[in-house]
Amino acid sequence: MDHDPGSPHHSRHHGAHRLRWVVMGALILLALAGCAIMWRPALEPQPASRSGAAAQAFDAATVERGRQLAALGSCAACHTVDPARPFAGGLALATPFGTVYSTNITPDARTGIGAWSEPAFARALREGVSRDGHLLYPAFPYDYYTHMKADDVHALYAYLMTRPALDAPAHANSLHFPFGFRPLVAFWNVLYLKKDDAWAPDARQSVEWNRGAYLADAVAHCGACHTPRTKLGGTDVKRYLDGGEAEGWYVPALNAHSPSPLPWTTEQLASYLRTGIATDHAAAGGPMQSVVENLRFADPHDVTALATWVHSYMEKAPHDAARARTADNLPAPVDTDADARMREGHAVYQNACARCHALGRSESSGAALPLQKAVALYDPDPRSLIHIVRDGIQPPNGEPARWMPAFGAILTDRQTAALAAYLRRYGAGRDPWDHIEDSVRKAKQP
Amino acid sequence: MTTFNLRVNGKPHTVDTDADTPLLYVLRNDLQMNGAKFGCGLGQCGACTVMLDDAAVMSCLVPVSVVGERAVRTVEGLGTADAPGVLQRAFIEEQAAQCGYCIAGMIMRATELLEQSAAPTDDQIREHMMPNLCRCGTHMRILRAVRRAADTMHAGPGSSTSSTSSAGAKA
Repeated sequence: MDHDPGSPHHSRHHGAHRLRWVVMGALILLALAGCAIMWRPALEPQPASRSGAAAQAFDAATVERGRQLAALGSCAACHTVDPARPFAGGLALATPFGTVYSTNITPDARTGIGAWSEPAFARALREGVSRDGHLLYPAFPYDYYTHMKADDVHALYAYLMTRPALDAPAHANSLHFPFGFRPLVAFWNVLYLKKDDAWAPDARQSVEWNRGAYLADAVAHCGACHTPRTKLGGTDVKRYLDGGEAEGWYVPALNAHSPSPLPWTTEQLASYLRTGIATDHAAAGGPMQSVVENLRFADPHDVTALATWVHSYMEKAPHDAARARTADNLPAPVDTDADARMREGHAVYQNACARCHALGRSESSGAALPLQKAVALYDPDPRSLIHIVRDGIQPPNGEPARWMPAFGAILTDRQTAALAAYLRRYGAGRDPWDHIEDSVRKAKQP
Repeated sequence: MTTFNLRVNGKPHTVDTDADTPLLYVLRNDLQMNGAKFGCGLGQCGACTVMLDDAAVMSCLVPVSVVGERAVRTVEGLGTADAPGVLQRAFIEEQAAQCGYCIAGMIMRATELLEQSAAPTDDQIREHMMPNLCRCGTHMRILRAVRRAADTMHAGPGSSTSSTSSAGAKA
C-alpha cells in the first residue's frame, strides 16, 4: 500500500480512521462476548435442613461407591492436608500463574459445600463454576471431571455430603497479575473445557479397557500430570500422555515415549498403582506417592482396569531391556572420557549409592533397584533423579513401602550433578542431559 | 586405602581408610570421638547425627570420600562436662536423657535448628526433631530441652551464664 503511487494521502488517512472504528467495534463485541461467557449465575443455597448427612438420605451402597470414586480421583491428595481433618482443604499448589489453595469440600454450610445442592456440585465438577457463580481455577481438574457420568457424580456427592462437616475457611490465593481476576478463566474454558465431548466407549476395546479409559479420563485424571501443558496451562491433547510435570518432577510419558527401559506388564502396573511398588521397575516417589495413597483405597478391580488401559499405551514404547538386565555393577568411566564429572560421579555412586543399589544387595537394602533399571535415569531430563537423590523416598505415615534416605545435605550440589551426569551415561547409556547443574540449583528452591 | 584430610570441630585430622567408609566409623574408630552412635546404620534413627557445614546429617550415610573440605561438627565440639554448651546444659537441666544413646544425635539435630532460627515455635521444634528417634520415650523432655536452649539463646549472651535459663529469659 505504502508504495502505491495512486493512493492519495487523505484516503489512506481515512482508511486508517475507519480501521480504528472497526477494531474498536470488534473489541467492544469481544468484551461483550467475554462478559457473556464470564458471567455465571449463583445457584440457590440449599436450606440448612438439607445440609449434611442427617437430612439427605443416601443409601450405603451409593456412599460406598462415592468413597471408591473419591479414592480413584485422589480427591484427598489436594483436599486433605491434615489426615485428622479429611477434605478440609488448604493445600498450596504452586502453578506458573501463582499459588492456588485447595478448598474445604466437607459439608460445612459456611466454609465447605454444605449449602451446595447436587446440581451446584455437578456444575462445579463439570463446568468449574462455584455455587455462587464464580469461576474455579483449573488447578481443580474439572476439564477431566466434566466427562463423569451422572450417577458417579451423584455417588461422589453422597460420599462428600456424609463426611464430617469441618470449619475451614478458604485460604486466599496469591496469583500473579492478571490471573487473580477469576472471570479470565472463561477464556481458558473456551480453549480447554470440552464439556459437550461426552465420554464414549471404544467398541474395538474390551469392557475392562473401556472401564479403565473412563476412570483414567473422567475420574483419576492421569493426563493432568502425564500430559504436557500448553503455555496457557491447558492439557496439550495433541501430546496425550507424552510426559508432563508436577511439583518440579518430570512425570513420565505413558505412551510410546515411555522412558522405562523394561517392558511393564499389566500386573506390574496394577501393583504399582495399588502399592507404589513394581518389582524390577520402580517405587513411587514425589507427587505419585499421594496418588498411590489414594488408589490403595479404591476397588482393586477398578485399579486393574486403569492398569489395563495404561498398558495399552505403554506397550507401544521401545525398550532397552538388555541394558537394564545387565548383570554387572555400573562401570568406571572409560579412560578416554573427557567429562571430568564422570570420575567424581562414579566415586559418589560407588561410595554412597552402591551400598544398597549394587547387585546382590537386594536382600539387605529392602530391594533397592540396580540403577540400570531405574526409570529416572532414562527420563528426558534429570529433575526426578535429582529430587530422589536429594529428598529420598519417604513412605506415607504408617504404611509399609519402599524407603530411601535423603542425600540433599550429604552431597554437595557439584557431587549431585556429577552423579546425575555419570548415571545418565554409564547407567542408562543415553545422551547427556543439558544443564544438570541448573536443575540441581532449582530443585533446592522451595 | 586412601588418605583423607578432615576438619572436625575446628581441628584438622588425617585418616587412612577406604573411600566408602561411613564418616561415623571414622569419627568413632579412627578419631575416638564416640559421641555419635551407631543405631541402625541405615539413616533411619538419627543416633549418628552430626553437622556437615550448616546441615545436620546422619553420619552413617556419609561416605568419608564426599566430606571434602566441609567442616564436621560433633557433640564433642559443643562443650565439656565441666563447661557444657547451651544445648547440652538444657538437656541436663531437663533431664532429657534416659539411656542416653540418642542424645548426642538429638543435640546435633537441635543445633541445626537453633542455627537456622533464633526463636523457633514449638511446632517447628517438633517438626525439626522428627527424623531422630528415642526408644526410651523421653521425647517430651527432649522437646522441653530444645525449647529451653532456644529461649536461653534468644534471651542473649547475658543470660547464657545463668543456671536456670527460663528464669534468665524472664529477667
